Amino acid sequence: MSNPIATVWRKELKDALRDKRSVMAAMSYAFFGPLFMAVAFYFLISQLTDPSDVEIDISGTDHAPALVEHLNQQGIVQRDKPWPAGTTPIELEIPANWGEQIGKGIPVEVIITADFSAQKQTTDLRRLEKAISAYGNQIAFMRLQMRGIDPNVANPITLIKHDTATQGSRAALLMGSVLIFFLMSVFFSGMNVAIDISAGERERNSLELLLAQPLSSHQLVYGKALAASCFAMFGGVLCVLLTPLVFQFLPLHEIGMSVSLSAADLLLIIALLAPLALLATALQLFVSFRAKSFKEAQTYISLLLMVPMIAVFGVEFARLKSPALYYLPVTGQHQALLDLIKGESLQWLPLGLSALATLVVSWILMRLIGKMLASEKVVFGL
Amino acid sequence: MIEVSELRKSFGKVNALNGLSFVAPEGQITGLLGPNGAGKTTCLRTIYGLLKADSGHALIDGIDTSKQPLEARRNIGIFPDKFGLYERLTAREQIAYFAALHGFSGGQLEQATQTAIDRLDMSAIADRKAQGFSQGQRMKVALAQAIVHQPKHLILDEPSRGLDVMSTRILRDLLRDLRAQGTSILFSSHVMQEVAALCDQVVVIAAGKVAAQGTTEQLCELTGETALEEAFVKIIGTDEGIAA
Repeated sequence: MSNPIATVWRKELKDALRDKRSVMAAMSYAFFGPLFMAVAFYFLISQLTDPSDVEIDISGTDHAPALVEHLNQQGIVQRDKPWPAGTTPIELEIPANWGEQIGKGIPVEVIITADFSAQKQTTDLRRLEKAISAYGNQIAFMRLQMRGIDPNVANPITLIKHDTATQGSRAALLMGSVLIFFLMSVFFSGMNVAIDISAGERERNSLELLLAQPLSSHQLVYGKALAASCFAMFGGVLCVLLTPLVFQFLPLHEIGMSVSLSAADLLLIIALLAPLALLATALQLFVSFRAKSFKEAQTYISLLLMVPMIAVFGVEFARLKSPALYYLPVTGQHQALLDLIKGESLQWLPLGLSALATLVVSWILMRLIGKMLASEKVVFGL
Repeated sequence: MIEVSELRKSFGKVNALNGLSFVAPEGQITGLLGPNGAGKTTCLRTIYGLLKADSGHALIDGIDTSKQPLEARRNIGIFPDKFGLYERLTAREQIAYFAALHGFSGGQLEQATQTAIDRLDMSAIADRKAQGFSQGQRMKVALAQAIVHQPKHLILDEPSRGLDVMSTRILRDLLRDLRAQGTSILFSSHVMQEVAALCDQVVVIAAGKVAAQGTTEQLCELTGETALEEAFVKIIGTDEGIAA
């Protein structure tokens, strides 16, 4: 006596593996996801660690050669090339009365003209301001010393910044987006299979005969859901394994980041994704068993994909901090992954409970689908 | 034995079945003859438990299909109104899938599948994927799926639709074979010649109930006509007077 759930599962898996479109869909996400992240990171890093000179227009260099020398040492130099179109020039104006004013001890007005709201130039402007005020401090220091005053008198507070951001937690900021890729991988990878075994079954007119076989509609749904979640997991695992590989080639250390995921971490991530794969499949089957054709199901499912995205991005951007998030499906796995990547200790109880909640919700969904398939209204579209 | 008694089923305001009763005994081919929309498919779907009758019941060897659908389905082979094949599976794999759903496994499963393939003389296409099969080849696969577990009851919904002469012959031979083995066969059709050529008993349905029942000769006698077609028209025609 064979188990009908296993029979359905085996058949659907065999069928799906022969479907090039389904296999491609699962694989392409796993491949292109990490690759896409890597490219985005690469540009981010090269922008953050830009060591090149800041080239600006400096007028009146003759009036204050020492200042110009100081700026050059700090990597701020006179620009020879024209400014690219769409960029507001940064101009530094050293007045003619520089030497006179400095000699008398009167503040000199040095003028920076620039678009301070331009995102791209923020770093350049900060470097320029810092360099100028450092030069000002040097002069003040010397003046006080010459007058026999300890320069520290003018420096009552020394602000020491202890940056507690560990390398891991700085990485977490960026890794947050990678995590979303992990989470979404199970939603994307099994999608095509889920549609094919539900709406596809109806479209090719095989649903009626299948339902008239000696197995309950619940057994049918379990078998199908398991097959589709296997596919979802296949994509998920591939994505999780490929990401660290791709990240090895990124110069993350240049921005003080390190992403080290041990084999145990990777296994844990995969384990976290497993119940989520079942939930993703159950949701997709729930929607696409109602659809009459493949096309219709695709439309519904692409809308459905927004649900986990909104959940995860919403938490990320609204900076929601509620303990409930640790216990819910999707957000629970997201929080656990965040903790894992930040290198914080994992909260095993919420982690287990959210996995359980995910499984329970999936089970309820599958029961509902089973019920739906026992209803003549849904099956025959009456 | 397939037994249908007092089946009533309505979809909204439409009464699809209106107190339908008949019996398809063992070792006989019973034809369900009726015009389009007479309720043939609704009746068959009720027998295999996909539709729930508003009242009345359908029994397979005494098992009520609405109360124990799984038990009842174990004993029937179904050739449905619409059959779609799994394009990426071979004919053999599809047949084996249905055998497995009926509880076969291991060597028994292979044996049953091979028997069905041989019986329909389809070894040549058995290991080809269903993609690109002709209508006749598809019909063979669907028939093999229906008989792979050697059911005691076979229900066919318009089986000869779209078949060429050769395929129709294969179908008829198979049905006669199975009849000889004591299978109760129930099939629906709106094609007169087919019913006349095959059936031991004809149940004429119109507007969801039995308009007449008997052998082709009996029906002709009943109406005083010599051809079944004339008899059929007469029976359906009188229906208007009877309808409530």
